[in-house]
Amino acid sequence: MTGSTNRRRVPGTTLLKIAALLFNEHLVSAVIEPTIADLQREIADAGPSRMKRLRARCRGYCAFCRLTLIAPFASPAAPAGDAGAVAFPDAIARLVVGSMVFILLAAFGPVLGVWIAAVTAAGALFAIAIHAWYERHPSEMPIPTEPQRYSPQINFSSTEIAGNVGGLIFAVGSVFIVVVGLPSVILFLVAATMAGCVLAWGLAAWHTAHPKYGLPANRIVWR
Amino acid sequence: MAHKEPMTLPGKERIILELLASNGPMYGLQLVEQSEGALKRGTVYVTLGRMEAKGLVDSQQEPFPAGGIGLPRRIYRPTALGKRVLRAWTAFARELAWEMKP
Repeated sequence: MTGSTNRRRVPGTTLLKIAALLFNEHLVSAVIEPTIADLQREIADAGPSRMKRLRARCRGYCAFCRLTLIAPFASPAAPAGDAGAVAFPDAIARLVVGSMVFILLAAFGPVLGVWIAAVTAAGALFAIAIHAWYERHPSEMPIPTEPQRYSPQINFSSTEIAGNVGGLIFAVGSVFIVVVGLPSVILFLVAATMAGCVLAWGLAAWHTAHPKYGLPANRIVWR
Repeated sequence: MAHKEPMTLPGKERIILELLASNGPMYGLQLVEQSEGALKRGTVYVTLGRMEAKGLVDSQQEPFPAGGIGLPRRIYRPTALGKRVLRAWTAFARELAWEMKP
């Protein structure tokens, strides 16, 4: 135990994580990080007064919100030769999709019902989060060289997902969707999910301990 | 830095260059405070980033204080090109004001 000071969260940590999801590295280092550094300095300079600290925090959060809205459109140019740094179309696409979700939520919420609108919005935001995660952690699953034949069927087991956090999110999300549709089987699905997680953990541990066994496609990659 | 087209100096960039030229190197937040409302906290670094890409200002991260927490701040100073552009722009504005005098 190192005391409460080390456990205290540095202000702006969450904002930085959100920015890393939305914007590329150049924009984060050139624009977002100095803004968050100012927020942190202002909070530190506010001293022990809670009101002053709160005001500084609010000002910093407002600045961050404004920056998030304008940054994809009024971005500074990337340094010459840094071709990989420009990824603004991605940020714009996420902003557009996010805005569409909220517009749909506002426009059709009263018609479809709050529950359906909320689930739609949550699903879209979830999809954006998974997409962002996969961009930063590309799947290492080998692509099959021969086309695989599938017989037409409604079967979750035929859906290919990676053996990583993204796959876990997909699996848990699918179970959640079924629970929404069939609330009476909730206990069964919770038990099945827990058993599946335990089994997956056991398999992952076994494959890590015995790397020689198993097909390359089943290789376990810890992230 | 070679520019094919004549460089323009938008209002906010001019204010930043004037502040940096008169007060020396400054942080983004100091620029906002000194500008008396002309610059906003949420946009100043976008403008500064654009100016850095144009070669008008130069930035450096402050040394990380021992035992400090959080991110180090970035300090900005005008480049030689930035100072020249400001001088040229000020002379042009003065000339224009003289021409338009009734």
